[in-house]
Amino acid sequence: MKIVVVFKWARNPLDARVSADAAISWPGVKLAASDDDPAAMEIAAALAAGDEVVGLTIGDGDTAWAAARGAARTVVVTDAPGETDSAATGAALAAAVRRMTGVGAVLIGDSAWDYAVVSALAGRLGWPAVAGVTAACPERGELRVTRRLGAATQALSAAGPVVLAVTANRAEKNVPGMKEVLAARKKPVEKITAADLNTASRYQVQTQGVRFPDTPPARIIDGGDPPTACEQLIAALRTDGVI
Amino acid sequence: MAIDGWVIIVDENRAGGMLDAARRLGGRVTAAVAGRRDLAKRAAGMGFDRVLCWESADGVPPEAYAAAMAERAAQEAPRLVLASDAPPARVLLGAAAAALNAALVASVRAVAAAGEKIVVSRAAAEGKVLEDIAVSGALAGIFDGDDAEQRGGAAVTVEIVPAEAGAALRVLSTEAESGAAGLLTAARVVGVGLGLRARDDLQIIEKLAAAMGAETACTLPVCDDMRWFASHSVVGSSHSRIAPDLYIALGISGQPQHMSGVRDAKVVVAVNSDPEARIFKNCDYGIVGDLYKIVPVLTAAFAASKNP
Ligand SMILES: Cc1cc2nc3c(=O)[nH]c(=O)nc-3n(C[C@H](O)[C@H](O)[C@H](O)COP(=O)(O)OP(=O)(O)OC[C@H]3O[C@@H](n4cnc5c(N)ncnc54)[C@H](O)[C@@H]3O)c2cc1C
Repeated sequence: MKIVVVFKWARNPLDARVSADAAISWPGVKLAASDDDPAAMEIAAALAAGDEVVGLTIGDGDTAWAAARGAARTVVVTDAPGETDSAATGAALAAAVRRMTGVGAVLIGDSAWDYAVVSALAGRLGWPAVAGVTAACPERGELRVTRRLGAATQALSAAGPVVLAVTANRAEKNVPGMKEVLAARKKPVEKITAADLNTASRYQVQTQGVRFPDTPPARIIDGGDPPTACEQLIAALRTDGVI
Repeated sequence: MAIDGWVIIVDENRAGGMLDAARRLGGRVTAAVAGRRDLAKRAAGMGFDRVLCWESADGVPPEAYAAAMAERAAQEAPRLVLASDAPPARVLLGAAAAALNAALVASVRAVAAAGEKIVVSRAAAEGKVLEDIAVSGALAGIFDGDDAEQRGGAAVTVEIVPAEAGAALRVLSTEAESGAAGLLTAARVVGVGLGLRARDDLQIIEKLAAAMGAETACTLPVCDDMRWFASHSVVGSSHSRIAPDLYIALGISGQPQHMSGVRDAKVVVAVNSDPEARIFKNCDYGIVGDLYKIVPVLTAAFAASKNP
C-alpha cells in the first residue's frame, strides 16, 4: 500500500523565545520532527510492506528526515503557511496528498505541538481518520488500528484510504546513522508551492497581541530546613482545602 | 452581536468548560454529541440550549459520523465550533472545520466577540504565553481551558439525528487498562521521578503515600528504564492523565510529556533539589530540597495532620 508520511510540520514550542513583554520569537529555530514523527514513520514503513512511502513536509528545512527512514522520495510545500494559520497548513498538506495517486493511508505524528494541523489535514482530505493511534497492521484487506482512548486501548478496523495520527510512547529507538542520512540526501525531492495547490480560505486570522497568563507563579519554599518547609506546605494545602 | 456556537462532545471531559466558553459569544449553544444516547442526555442536563445526537450504533466509533456531523454544521453554519483534545473529538472538529471553511486553532483557553470578529486566546510557547488571535469568518477550536461544573437546569430534549456512519471505521474491541483504575480516580497522588536513586528507596515513597491516603504514580523512565513500576502507573501525554485534588511530584523535572498528564490536578506540589528545574514553573507549590530529607518529614506531618 502506498503511504504518505507527513513530517517536520511544526516547531518545538519549547524552542520559542519569550521576551519580557511576552513576545514570542523563534531565532534560528527550524521546523522539527516531534516525538511522534518517528512513530508515524515506523508504522508507515511496516504498512507499506515494500510499496512506496512518500515523505511530505513543509518549509525550507531538512528534507532528508523521512528518506533516511525509508521513504523513497519526498514532497515539500516550500511556502505552506505556518504558525497562526493551522487550517491553511493542514489544507496545503491535504492538497499535496491529493496530487498523488493511489495513496492508501496518510500518517502524521499526532503531536500536541499543534493538534489543529492534524485536525485540518484529516478534515480537508475528508477521509476516515483516527487519532491517538499507537499501532496499525494489515488485516483481511483492511487495516487493524490500535489507539488509546483515555485509559482504554481500542482496536478498530479501517477501510482505506485513511488518515492515521500516530502518538509515540517512547523516544525513537533506531535513529538513522550518517550513512543512511547521506544516502537519503540523494533521493528525489519535489518542491511545490502553495500556488500549485490552490487552497483558498474564507477566513482571516491575525495575531492581536500576547500576554502572560494571569495564573500566579508557584510559591517556592526553601527546603533547607525540612520541618519548617513541610509545615509551610501543610498550612498552605489546608488553606487551599485539599487536605 | 450574538454568535451561535457548537460544542462537539464525545465524552464529558471539558464539556462544561466549553459550554461556558461558547456562552461568551452571546448566542445559542448547541451540543453536538457523537456517542451513546445517555451521554447526550447528560449533556442535555448541563445547560446547553439544544442537543443534537449522532447516536452511535454498537461497534461504531464517533469518528464514523464525521461526514454527517460536518454536513449538518455546514447547513447551520455556526461561527464557533469547539471540541476537546480527545482523539475522536479532534477528528470530528476537523471535518466540521473543513465544511465550514473555518480557521482552526488548538490550545484554546477562551473566546470573546469583538465586533464582527471572534478573538480566541490560545496558549503558546508551552503555556508560557497567551496569544490573542482575531478571526473573521468561522472558528473551530480545540479547547484545553479549564472545565467548569454545570448546574443541571431544566434538561432540553435530545434531537436524534438520523445519520449514515459509512462502513470505513468499526470498533473491534475496547480494553480498559485494569491496573490504572485506582490511580485514575484517586484524590491524592504521589508521583516519583528519576530523582529517586534506588528501587529500595521506594519504601519512603510508599510510606508517604500511606500517610496521605494517596496512590503512587511515576514518570516514563522510572517505568521503562528502571522498571520499578508497571506502565499503568506512568502519568503523562502518552499514558494516564489524572485529575487528583493533590499531586506531589518527587524528583521529577517537569517535562511537558509528564506535566500534560496532571494538567487537571487541582494542586501540584513539586519537590526537587534543582532550583532551576522546569517543574517549578508549572506547579502551585515547590519545595527546593533533597527529597530524601523532605519526604520523611512530610510523611510525619501528614500522619500528624490525620490524627491531631
Ligand atoms: C514519545 C515520548 C513520550 C513520552 N511520554 C511520557 C509520559 O507519558 N510520561 C512521562 O512522565 N514521561 C514521558 N516521556 C519522557 C519525558 O520526556 C521525560 O524524559 C520524563 O518525564 C523525565 O522523567 P523524570 O522527571 O523522572 O526524570 P529527569 O528529567 O531525569 O528528572 C529527574 C529530576 O530529579 C531531580 N532530582 C535528582 N535528585 C534529587 C533529589 N535527591 N531530591 C529531589 N530531586 C532530585 C533532578 O533535579 C531532576 O529534575 C516521553 C518521552 C517521549 C520521547
